[in-house]
Amino acid sequence: IQSRPRKADKDEEEKPLQAVLVADSFNRRFFPITKDQPRALLPLANVSMIDYTLEFLTSTGVQETFVFCCWMASKIKEHLQKSKWCRPTSPNVVHVITSDLYRSLGDVLRDVDAKALVRSDFLLVYGDVVSNIDVSQALQEHKQRRSMDKNVSVMTMIFKESPPGHKTRCEDDDIIVAMDGKSKRILHYQRAQALKKLHFPMNIFHSGSDEFEIRFDLLDCHISICSPQVAELFTDNFDYQTKNDFVRGLLVNEEILGNQIHMHVTRDGYGARVSNLLMYDTVSSDTIRRWIYPITPEANFADQEGQSCTHSRHNVYREPGVSLGHGSQMEENVLIGRNTVIGANCTISNTVIGANCVIGDNVTLDRAYIWNRVHIADNVKVKQSVICDNVEVKHGVVLSEQCVLAYNVVVGPDITLPEGTVLSMHHPDEEDDEDEDEFLSDDNDVGYSKDKTKQKVFNPAEVGSEGKGYRWKSSSLDDTEEDELAECIWGLALSADPESDSESEVSEGSHDLGSHPASPELDDVKVFQNEVHGTLQRGLDENISCDNLVLEINSLKYAYNISLKEVMQILMRVVLEFPFQQQGAQISTAQYSSHLLPLLKKWAPVFKNYVKRPQDQLDCLASMEEVFLECETHWAALVKVLMSMYQLEILEEEGIMHWFNQGSTTDKSQQLRRNQGLLKFIKWLQEAEESSEGDE
Amino acid sequence: MPGADKETDLSERIESFLSELKRCGSGAGSLRGSAETARETTALLRRITAQARWGNAGELMEIIRKEGRRMTAAQPSETTVGNMIRRVLKIIREEYARSRGSSEETDQQESLHKLLTSGGSSEDNFRQHFTHLKANVIEAINELLTELEGTTDNISMQALEHIHSNEVIMTIGRSRTVEAFLKDAARKRKFHVIVAECAPFCQGHEMATSLCKEDIETTVIPDAAIFAVMSRVNKVIIGTQTVLANGGLRAVNGTHTLALAAKHHSTPLIVCAPMFKLSPQVPDTPYNHTKLKSVDTILYIHILSKVNAHCPVFDYVPPELITLFISNIGGNAPSYIYRLMSELYHPEDHEL
Repeated sequence: IQSRPRKADKDEEEKPLQAVLVADSFNRRFFPITKDQPRALLPLANVSMIDYTLEFLTSTGVQETFVFCCWMASKIKEHLQKSKWCRPTSPNVVHVITSDLYRSLGDVLRDVDAKALVRSDFLLVYGDVVSNIDVSQALQEHKQRRSMDKNVSVMTMIFKESPPGHKTRCEDDDIIVAMDGKSKRILHYQRAQALKKLHFPMNIFHSGSDEFEIRFDLLDCHISICSPQVAELFTDNFDYQTKNDFVRGLLVNEEILGNQIHMHVTRDGYGARVSNLLMYDTVSSDTIRRWIYPITPEANFADQEGQSCTHSRHNVYREPGVSLGHGSQMEENVLIGRNTVIGANCTISNTVIGANCVIGDNVTLDRAYIWNRVHIADNVKVKQSVICDNVEVKHGVVLSEQCVLAYNVVVGPDITLPEGTVLSMHHPDEEDDEDEDEFLSDDNDVGYSKDKTKQKVFNPAEVGSEGKGYRWKSSSLDDTEEDELAECIWGLALSADPESDSESEVSEGSHDLGSHPASPELDDVKVFQNEVHGTLQRGLDENISCDNLVLEINSLKYAYNISLKEVMQILMRVVLEFPFQQQGAQISTAQYSSHLLPLLKKWAPVFKNYVKRPQDQLDCLASMEEVFLECETHWAALVKVLMSMYQLEILEEEGIMHWFNQGSTTDKSQQLRRNQGLLKFIKWLQEAEESSEGDE
Repeated sequence: MPGADKETDLSERIESFLSELKRCGSGAGSLRGSAETARETTALLRRITAQARWGNAGELMEIIRKEGRRMTAAQPSETTVGNMIRRVLKIIREEYARSRGSSEETDQQESLHKLLTSGGSSEDNFRQHFTHLKANVIEAINELLTELEGTTDNISMQALEHIHSNEVIMTIGRSRTVEAFLKDAARKRKFHVIVAECAPFCQGHEMATSLCKEDIETTVIPDAAIFAVMSRVNKVIIGTQTVLANGGLRAVNGTHTLALAAKHHSTPLIVCAPMFKLSPQVPDTPYNHTKLKSVDTILYIHILSKVNAHCPVFDYVPPELITLFISNIGGNAPSYIYRLMSELYHPEDHEL
């Protein structure tokens, strides 16, 4: 008895584990289904997705969860208040925080920071993550790293090892990760989606470790262990919208901010995010096939009344009150909700049926996901489709692969819907011109009247003679030229052609950044060079004083994060190329030098500002050599440039001699050094030196 | 209100116990032994008895039944929980009868005459109020807890009667009871143990390591080699998850194979099972005795959705394959189990 309170004290010291659950996807992937119900509440094996996430959090020992919702926040709140998570005995205290202003993960985390909700490390998950991964080890490693390295590591991302071709891998989420094999530090993180070429910045290989891993066999479980700094960083960088922005931003600026991201790779357990309907299909069937044990349908972990089902051979689950007609077969992997009535001679396999459905005779269901209160008449065939609440499917209807019937749609009779048909009671065009908030309170009758006023009628060719609903553009193939907002709801099959998925990620602004990972340094250098050129040009045109030019170049240097050495080299290069830029590349050597020399004289103070130490002079000369090597015809001008710079006291004779005597590496630079004019100049310098020594 | 506080505290404890039960066994094998589960259940029932609001024995039994139903539903494969609830219910009945002064009630002899005369009337009589009932029940539950503490020792004490020098003994997987049993025998005698590894969770490996530490000569074999090795074996000693009412077993997967092989070679099969594993359940369809775990361990890459993977955890072993049960109260034949059952549980409690 004595040991218990002591343990409790210790726990208080350690602070309870907190979690931030983002119950909004911030994209329209599940449209038109999510027009009526937020994604977190969509049923997956007859249990809302958010319940899976909360169960995962609770079983890892999270004691306080903040649920952030935006889209249809009131529905989520209502659901949670009724669920077991809000009972006083719940080990995990759930707080719901709603706001209409959240537009991205970044907004949520900024709010976390503003409200100072988290006190220590927290778990960050989305409301559609289904997982049974044991993160305690990752948590421990994270804490250890934080205590060892003075809070350098801000985040640990959880990855599940799943080689290409793994079912839970969705092509949208393919990533390439480069990491330090020993410390598990992430060096480079990039979406690999539809990329044929991959670029890795060189600097990641200079980070001092001798063991690198570049991995493509990882699945981002979208579970991360974050330190409170993460929220602060989101506040500091108001342009971060997604986690991808954050990770890339942090990696690029690693040297400046000194923050690191680590990863934890697990082989055991199950972790996936229901990011599109294909994943919905996969995760549902995995739940029924018991991959997510102990989260199985018959466990009734959400503790809902009347949800307890029995499990029998071939993974057939039945909730109470199911009635099955004569001759109907439940072949395998079937879950049937309470009080559902199934007619005679049906064949059902790999299917989830919700509560209070009525299914007629001779119905064939394969990979169908039927939600609650659905009526299906006789002789219907359904293949790999989602049928939402209150849908009515009249007799003789055939649904091909990847059809979606959103809420309250009526289809049929005797119609065959082609592959990838999406039907909804919402007209596809209404989404843009109406305030989204209206839909929170609207029920469907209002929707009807609106539609009528707009003179939009149901097309019997699309939904059947007695059908109700509008056809949304078919999702799978032709969306490349279609509008960008409606993303393909099914995601991509593993075999899909890579061209079509370029559209599917549009809502995530980071995509563009992610797909052109050309070394960011190079870009900056180029831009900087252009800026310097522009500055000098303006200086010339407007006769700006050299002091101000220096000031401008310095500010550019900070803006683009360019080192002093590079500034000098670029400055040299810009100045030397200046005549070409002004007069065109075809000018003669004489013209070139006559243009350049006055400029050098004019900008001498600028050079002097940067060229101070002997090393600077060498860098300067090396850059000069580089420029001249590129234009052989103007070698004669080199001497004049050197001469004038010597006279302007930018360069000193020791520097020039040192440069000249330096072992030249290429044939061309040796040739350059054998140039007549240059040899003469060097000789003159030597003599001048000797004579000056003699004077002393 | 201290009373309300107490009650929320109590329901909190029940909830946490429930969720623990639900999650129990998410790793390989059950992480906690069933002895521990039995103790925890009994301690929780004692707490309910002490803290819940009840006026007479009938109310208390109703509360315990109600919570008991939830506990058994939380993890149906863990029969120990239900067994302990039945034991406590029986204790309440006995204490109530003692308070009323009619010790005849405790006599559980089932006779045709009794069946005809009793019929449901006893339930009404539980309404009487006794001031000392609570203390008496708690006292009796404490005795039960003490009994539970000593079960493993009681079983291993009998080891020397069954294991002789230079015998070859086979076991499967890891059972804490068998482990203690063998270790106890090893203090006096030299013998050889063959452990079937019990894939895919391979608890047999742990068992072998643990036995080696006690200087017992140990060999690990794959499950497939059980039959081949059986001809050399003198005795098979196994543990079990549950002893069913007909004397059959629900034991770790592979036990049926082992039992059949033992029968074929006429090797005696001894089951070490403490009394709290005795359950009034009878086997119906074999499938209902299996708990299916995550298939992740057997099939690492699941590329094809066409491949079905199953990972049952328990086997049903029929009573005719078993030679002897060793429990904490001594050795019994499988045919005698029904008798022990009627001593432990009241027939009305078989269905909670």
